[in-house]
Amino acid sequence: MRTEDLIRQLSAGLKPVRRLPSPLAMLGLWCLFCAGVIGAALLITGLRADFAAWLQDGFDLYHLMSAALVALTAGYAAFQLALPDRDQRWALLPVPAVVGWLVTMGWGCLEDIARLGPEAMNLSVSYPCLNFIIGLGVPMTAAIIYLTRHAVLLRPMPVAALGGLSAAAFASLGLTLVHELNAAVMVLVWHGIAVLVVTCIGALAGPMLMQRTAL
Amino acid sequence: MPGWLARWPSGPTWCRVGKDEGARVTMQMPQFALAPAGLLPVSEAEDRLARDARWSGLMAAAQQGDGRAYDTLLRECLPLLRAICRRRLAMAAEVEDAVQDTLLTLHRVRATYDPARPFRPWIAAIAERRALDRGRGVARGLARHTGLEAADHLGVEGDAEGRLISADLRAAVGELPTSQRTALQLTKIEALSLAEASARSGMSMGALRVATHRAILTLRRKFGMEP
Repeated sequence: MRTEDLIRQLSAGLKPVRRLPSPLAMLGLWCLFCAGVIGAALLITGLRADFAAWLQDGFDLYHLMSAALVALTAGYAAFQLALPDRDQRWALLPVPAVVGWLVTMGWGCLEDIARLGPEAMNLSVSYPCLNFIIGLGVPMTAAIIYLTRHAVLLRPMPVAALGGLSAAAFASLGLTLVHELNAAVMVLVWHGIAVLVVTCIGALAGPMLMQRTAL
Repeated sequence: MPGWLARWPSGPTWCRVGKDEGARVTMQMPQFALAPAGLLPVSEAEDRLARDARWSGLMAAAQQGDGRAYDTLLRECLPLLRAICRRRLAMAAEVEDAVQDTLLTLHRVRATYDPARPFRPWIAAIAERRALDRGRGVARGLARHTGLEAADHLGVEGDAEGRLISADLRAAVGELPTSQRTALQLTKIEALSLAEASARSGMSMGALRVATHRAILTLRRKFGMEP
């Protein structure tokens, strides 16, 4: 087919399209959705048993803030990268927040060691952590992949991976409100593994899902 | 040669003053006092700015369903798209295929364009991506082609019947509707996955499956085989 004929075909009967909201507006929508999902999870599971004491003791604000920052920056980078003309360096936006998140958790481990000695490094499998983050993170990843499905023809994998990271960070944030896990090493290992799993699921299954839901 | 033309600096392009261009080109006037009426040089940068603004407007109209604006825009963009694809691809046919891939992609993601931003980087990013994909496809195809050439000596020589069938098959494939030919080419001949073929052609995976199935049925009927 000649290119000029293709242009004629594309232009004939052109349908109006609704312009995509800006990445910031998409991020707002995404945050509202995540807040709703976490709120629903809280209604089902209830707040952690020691919530009042945890708040009074001065909860780990830096940990929460860095997790929130990861969720926001990864989500914003996904919405930016999903657009054709955006610089691919947007993918690096969540890197400082991820480093900060790891540092706060690592710092928590050191504090625990100083306080409790080698006992602080005792590690057991925390299924609630894994179940909550993966169980909530995967459906949330599907939601952000749906919101960024227009990236399918451009760079689906980085967008889906960033979406997965954002969803997992939101789920991890939600988990902190639900589940008591005061040993920092447990938080570091199990939150870390669960977030990694959700991000990988996003990166691998995301492009296929985008393809199925594509415009 | 008239004196004013001999003194004319080399480089700038010519532009006829239009209603909306008057303000822009008058900035150039003082240094070209001897310019003939109606024809003024315009620097390339200014030209590009004006063109970007015009393309943004056309694309915004296209997003609202204005087919004529879309047609004009795509035609005006063709030289740019061909230039971008030519930088990455050597064969003219591949360049044209990459340009068509770009147009199909652009059509599917036209809702992502924000008229507040320049149009050129948006369309150039899509063209770069499609040309890159097409280049990878060519490299894969070349590797396969080399493999076939290496196997040429294996009993093919003198197999006139086989050659005739090949020629008939090629002709039959050539007669298929474009969508079926594209689907067959991508999924069966280039052996791409449905996802890759869909990204390349702009057709959905379902449409590709149906088109490939119909193409095979047509070919089977043509060669007297049970469908």
